[in-house]
Amino acid sequence: MVKADALVVRGLHKQIGGRTILKGVSFEATTGDLVMITGPNGAGKTTLLRILACLLPKSAGEVLWNGTPYGLEHGAIGYISHKPMLYESLSVYDNLQFFGRMYGASSKEFEQELLTLVGLWRYRYEPAAVLSRGMKQRLAIARMLISRPRMILYDEPFTSLDQEGQDLLKGLLEKERLKTIQLIVTHEPRLLSGLEYKELRLQGGRIEQGESYDT
Amino acid sequence: MIPRFWNKVFLIYRKDLKDEIQTFGQLIGTLVFGVMLVFIFSYALQLVNLEVSRVFPAALWVSVYFSASLILQRAFSKEAEEGTLDALLLASGDRGILFLAKFFCSLSILLIFEIVVVPLMWAFMGVSGQNLQLGYFAMSLFLGSWGLAAIGTLLNGMTVQLPGSRLLFPLLLFPLLIPLLMGAILTSQGALLGEVQSVMGWFYLLLMFDLTFTVVPLLLFDYVLEG
Repeated sequence: MVKADALVVRGLHKQIGGRTILKGVSFEATTGDLVMITGPNGAGKTTLLRILACLLPKSAGEVLWNGTPYGLEHGAIGYISHKPMLYESLSVYDNLQFFGRMYGASSKEFEQELLTLVGLWRYRYEPAAVLSRGMKQRLAIARMLISRPRMILYDEPFTSLDQEGQDLLKGLLEKERLKTIQLIVTHEPRLLSGLEYKELRLQGGRIEQGESYDT
Repeated sequence: MIPRFWNKVFLIYRKDLKDEIQTFGQLIGTLVFGVMLVFIFSYALQLVNLEVSRVFPAALWVSVYFSASLILQRAFSKEAEEGTLDALLLASGDRGILFLAKFFCSLSILLIFEIVVVPLMWAFMGVSGQNLQLGYFAMSLFLGSWGLAAIGTLLNGMTVQLPGSRLLFPLLLFPLLIPLLMGAILTSQGALLGEVQSVMGWFYLLLMFDLTFTVVPLLLFDYVLEG
């Protein structure tokens, strides 16, 4: 039985320069939740994810993990953006191994399992630089999973993925549901069809619609 | 906890050093730039009637400074260009780890650079080294390089996410390095002329400067890298 985690966001504000990006965003999620964050460009979706990932400081409000504030030392946040965030000069395998060792979660079996899962095992000795954009995104998925995250933040993860890659990611969203809290920013809700999710719609830094379940 | 901290520092350090060696062109480019400076200085100094032993430390540190400004700029810029800085921040869990790893890597490359350039410069400029106190000379090179690497890493971390960082970095680097360069030049000169006792105070100043610019960024790097 996996321990259930809880993410609580209360009155989150973010100002950058003179501009207020987030204006009192509040929501809750627990293990098993898949939260789709939608909204027009500039609504604050990516800013929200980056604050939750501790990559950006908040201006005001609370972000709690199991009732306590957290930082980068959390160690169990998986983050995927539309950029693959990989070392181009390192091979596919070395990229995965480097991040695995950084998280202290590396084993040859696990690395092989992940590269097989994302369909890159036979490309393991190729430098990341020669991979196509979609293949890099698959490697980014493996890099994210190697930390065995308990919260996964996806920022436009379907970008550059072909049909097979999109199916793989959809399968992953369902598979990881049992162990994680998942938040996904996407402009393409149709790609989540068939999955049960909550929707948070951001508009001008505020939640316009939230906590509704869709399938 | 502590072994994990140092293990992560080592992993990033090894990855960066391997990357520097694999992307041979940049390292070679910096070395060629340093050697060119050596040629220019030795040629220029032959035209004027100056005592080489007195001028050599200044010429040496000017060469090291210009080459270092190229080396140090790469610490975080490459991560930012490849978009790996976020992934690295999440995996390191402590921004101090990143500072130390990048600092050690920059220091290693600077020292490799000096191992090649200093003997070349020595030979081309015809330095006699009659009164050389080699241990102190090496210590002055090490302390000067340590300070350069520490300030360069700190400044690169501060400016990497700003627009125009490539222009800002060298502009901000020089004023911060003035006391360090003064100390490095005077201690190198003292060691070269066998007059170490007269510059002992500068050795201590270099050491204090280096410790300050290593420990303070290590503690404050969380704020430095916050976007």
